[in-house]
Formats: sequence, C-alpha cells, structure tokens
Amino acid sequence: MTLESEEIKTGIIPIEKQRAGLKRNFTQISDTITFEFKKNLKNFFLVLLIFLGVFILFLTIQELQALQGKELPADPIIFIKDYLAMFGFMLIISTALFGGSIIAEDFQKQTGNLLFPKISKTRLLIGRVISRYILNAICLFFYYVLIGAITFIKYGEIPIVIWGSMGWALLYTFSLFTFVTFMSSIMKSSTATIIVSILFLLIVFNLVSMILTFTGLDFEPLFILTYYEGIIAQSMAMPNPRYIYMDMQPPQAEEPIFYKNWLTPTGTAAFIGMVIYIGIFLTLAYFLYKRRQSKNV
Amino acid sequence: MNKKNQEILIQIKNLTKKFGDFYAVKGVNLEIKHGEIVGFLGPNGAGKTTTMKMMAYLLNPNEGEIWIRANGELKKLTRINKDYLLDNIGFLIEIPAFYGKVTPKEILKYFAKLKGYPRVRLDERIDTVLNMLGMLKWKDKKIGTFSKGMRQKIGIASAIIHDPDIIVLDEPQTGLDPGARKEVRDFILKLKKMGKTIFLSSHLLYEISEVADRIAIINRGELIAFDTLNNLEGKAKKSVIHFELLNPPDGKVDDFITQLKTFIAPLTGIAEEENWIKYYDDNKVFQLFFNGNPKNQTDILKVLLENGYEILEYSVPKAGLLENLFIELTGVNEIGGVYK
Repeated sequence: MTLESEEIKTGIIPIEKQRAGLKRNFTQISDTITFEFKKNLKNFFLVLLIFLGVFILFLTIQELQALQGKELPADPIIFIKDYLAMFGFMLIISTALFGGSIIAEDFQKQTGNLLFPKISKTRLLIGRVISRYILNAICLFFYYVLIGAITFIKYGEIPIVIWGSMGWALLYTFSLFTFVTFMSSIMKSSTATIIVSILFLLIVFNLVSMILTFTGLDFEPLFILTYYEGIIAQSMAMPNPRYIYMDMQPPQAEEPIFYKNWLTPTGTAAFIGMVIYIGIFLTLAYFLYKRRQSKNV
Repeated sequence: MNKKNQEILIQIKNLTKKFGDFYAVKGVNLEIKHGEIVGFLGPNGAGKTTTMKMMAYLLNPNEGEIWIRANGELKKLTRINKDYLLDNIGFLIEIPAFYGKVTPKEILKYFAKLKGYPRVRLDERIDTVLNMLGMLKWKDKKIGTFSKGMRQKIGIASAIIHDPDIIVLDEPQTGLDPGARKEVRDFILKLKKMGKTIFLSSHLLYEISEVADRIAIINRGELIAFDTLNNLEGKAKKSVIHFELLNPPDGKVDDFITQLKTFIAPLTGIAEEENWIKYYDDNKVFQLFFNGNPKNQTDILKVLLENGYEILEYSVPKAGLLENLFIELTGVNEIGGVYK
C-alpha cells in the first residue's frame, strides 16, 4: 500500500472533495443517470427483446401472407402503419417497466434512508427520469430502425415521415412515463405501480373513451392520455376527417345508431395536450415525492 | 483533552417531533464533541431513529434546532444549507436496504461520487473500506445474494465511503451474530482511533457500554440521562458482579445459592432483595447485586476464595451497571442484549 493510500485510510491528510454547490448538483444528476443505466440494464434488455419479438411476429405474418399471394401495399406508409398496430400497447408495457419503480422503490425497500442524506429528492428524480426515459427511448428507436430497415429492403426507400412519427412516439412515451412516475409516487410498491399503470392505460382510459363515444357526445377526447397515441401512426398520413363513424344495431331499434370515433388529434392539439399532461403529472409526482416520508419513523 | 476535542460538532437543542398527538421525540438536548463516541441508548420505539432521521434531514422537527459545525463554525441545519452541513457526516439509518441487482462496488462508487469524493481515488477507497470490513472479496457480487449481516456491513461502508469526520450509526449491530457484532464493535473503535466522531444508537447495552465515551439514554422520546459511563455508574444505586466457578454447582442450585448468601450477604452493602443472587445455567455464571463500592467488590472475592471456591472469572461488567441504571431510570427491564 502506498503512503498516499495509507494517508487516505487514516484520514491524517484531508482529501480534496468536490464541494456542495451547483457544480456538484449537476454531477450528482449525471452520476445518478450512469448508476440508473446499470441498475435498469436487465429491464432494458427485456424491453429490447419484447420489441424485437413483436417485430419478428409482424414480419412472420407478412411473409406468410406473401406466401399466400398477398401483395405488399403500394404505399410504404401503409406498410409501416401495419408495424405500428401494437405500438401503443408496447409503449405502455415498456414505460411501466422502466418507470414503475422510479419513486415507490425508495419507500418499499427503504432505500431512501441510504440515498436521501446523500442526494436531494429533486436531483434524484431528475436523474432517474432522464436515465430511464433514455433507455425507453433507445428501445423505441431500435424498433423504428427495424421498421426502417425492413421498409428499405421491401421498397428501396424509407419515407421521411417515419422520423416524424418517431418524434411523436418519443413525446407520447414521455407523457406515459410521467403518468407512471405519478403513479409510482402514490403507490406503495413497484409491482403495484406497474400493474395499476398498465390497467389504467390499457383499460380505464379506453373505457372512459368508449363510454363517451357511446353517449353520443360530440367532442374530441383530448383529456384522455391514450388518445394521443393515434398521432404516432396517423401523423404519417393525416386522415381527413380525423374521425370515422361506426354503426351499431341495438336489439330493438329499427335503425342502426352511428357513433363518432376519433382517430387522432391534430399535431398542434397533440403537442399542447401532451405537454400539459407531462407538466401536470411531473409536478404532482415531484411534490408527492417531496412530501412522502419513509414508513418507519 | 486538547482544545479540538472540546469542540462541539453537533448540538441538538430542544428537538421535538410529533406524529399526530404522539411525541416521538420530546425536547431532546444533546451535544457531540470532536473525536468522541456518544452512545444513544433506549428501548425499541424510544425515539432514537426519529432523532437520527431529523439529524439527516429525513424528517423535519416540530420544534427545536440542530446545529452542525462546518468550517469551524456551528451553523443551524436548514433546508437551504443541509447539503453543505451534512456533507461531512455519514449516516446509516435503520437496517440498510439495497438494490439487489447491483454490487457493493457499484453502489459504493455511486454514493462516494454523490458526496464529491475524488474520482481518481474511488477504487482505492472502496477497496480500503471493504477490506476494513472484511468484505473485499464480495465487492463484485450482487447484493441480492448477501446475508443480513453482510448487507449491514455494506450499510456501514456506505456511511463512511466518502470519509466523513462524523458518523451516525443507527443500530449497526442489529441482526448480527455475536462474531459479527464484535467485528462491528472493533471497527467502531478503529474509526475512533482514526479521529472520527461517532454517534451510535443501540438497544443493546453491552454494545454501547463497550465503545461509548458518553451515553445518552432516551425513553418515550425524552432524554433521561446523558453523561460519561463513570458518572452514570455513580448515579446507579447498585451494581453487578459476575463470577464463574471452576466447578459449577451440579444440581441443587438453590441450596448452593443459600450457602453462598450466608457469607456474601453482609458484604454487598445493600439490603437483600428477591433474586439478588442468580445463577445462569446456560453459561454457568453467577450474578449478584452489590453497592458498586470497589472495597465491597474485593471483599466478596476474598471471602469466596477463603471459603474454598475456585474462581474462574470475576468481573463487574459495564453493561451490568448500565442495565441497572437503565432499569432505574426507565422501568424497562427487557432491553435485551445484556450479558448474562
């Protein structure tokens, strides 16, 4: 052991530490990002595997259809849209996996007792949100790269609008992520957060949307978070009008009843709506996290 | 004691924490001086952890203040300056919980970085700390595979990894086997030799009495004693002798004790009371109460030897003294962990 290390061990000569302050605050955030990358590596590979699995599934279906004589759509955008059919569901799963433990774990396992004397909840939350969102975004990008590659193989070109769609997907993922973060701030465990978030995003929001549709009220469901998913695929070729009418034949009625089913918000509405959602959920999650204390006092 | 050792590093004034109508901590006043080990003793639920959480700014007090020395000046702990004031303190609050998927090296590196420890020296520091705790060979293993005792050691490592001058340890020996408890005890003394100031809570009398320079006793949120062990001994109305015989009584323990009483009773300096002399069969140790006077202590030994008893061990355990005081002050007699 060198003399220098002996000095550190015995504490005879004080070592020069980075002082608390603005610079340290930033390095704490970047260190949290690095640490969270390592901590969430398993989830990252799991989500990558899920995305790859879904891609292979679509590819297999398409190849089987080709073997049966079905031709490729003339427009590559329709081809790409087929691959985005389950994308909303995939994003909900991946976001819940990455974000489920973001706050709840500190109180469930009491890891907060070790962490909070070393780093403020604000910096910890910023670092975690950034790192986990980056991992989520990499998975999303990976899926788009796969779609882009297969589109290029089949058509010899990649429509530029695919990257616009990816931009919407990134924004939508972040809004989902803030929703899961909010859920994590009120739930007691990571597992419960994942399950409840998935239930809300897959069932509750859609149920509310469906009820509104069937009540016949004629307004765009901009307050439903999952409604914004529509713009990911539709942005590549915005439908006109942005809604369709669905008919349903009630058992004792003579005429079918028509319902308006909204497909996608406009770009502006989607952007504003998602930014509002992000703002609300992040603010709520932050304040709830700040107020929350460990259970054993 | 030099001037630096008289320096107060932490001062707690009238600290109070309420949960609803329940006072978890009520009007606690404490001061911790440079280089000393202050033991914080109390039964479970007495308010030890709550006090430490307020020191770590994990809980806000309802009343009172905590003052911490930084750059030679005592400053009041507030939300604004907490990063600065707590920088030189290492905390281990409650039984540490870790993320199972990471290794000690990864988590300690993260914690040390958060506290601004020089990056070029991180690996060396991690090895040094883990080596001191006998955990070096486990540094690259996942914490999820560790036993409770190993996690506790990693918890202690995480409190000292950034080389703080003040270390606050909340029940560091809880859940450890006797061997591991001794290791932690020795480690705490080693930290003291390195010039660290330690605030150590425990409900284990023995663990506190063996290392602490001063002992603060808390019960139901209130501080009921705070002094050196010697001064606390003086306050105790009676003390304890433990002795072990080369030939322990083989059956008929009651007759044996009656025989002992006849010549020991006049020398104890206290009135005879129920169970004032007891025999613990599991470790073959006799325990008797006396007035704490060293003269009485030696007289009892003499008379035992004169009567032909071959004494294997004869001692006045510190924990025994403390236990009596504790019982007198709190009325709690089941604190646990006392040497029998």
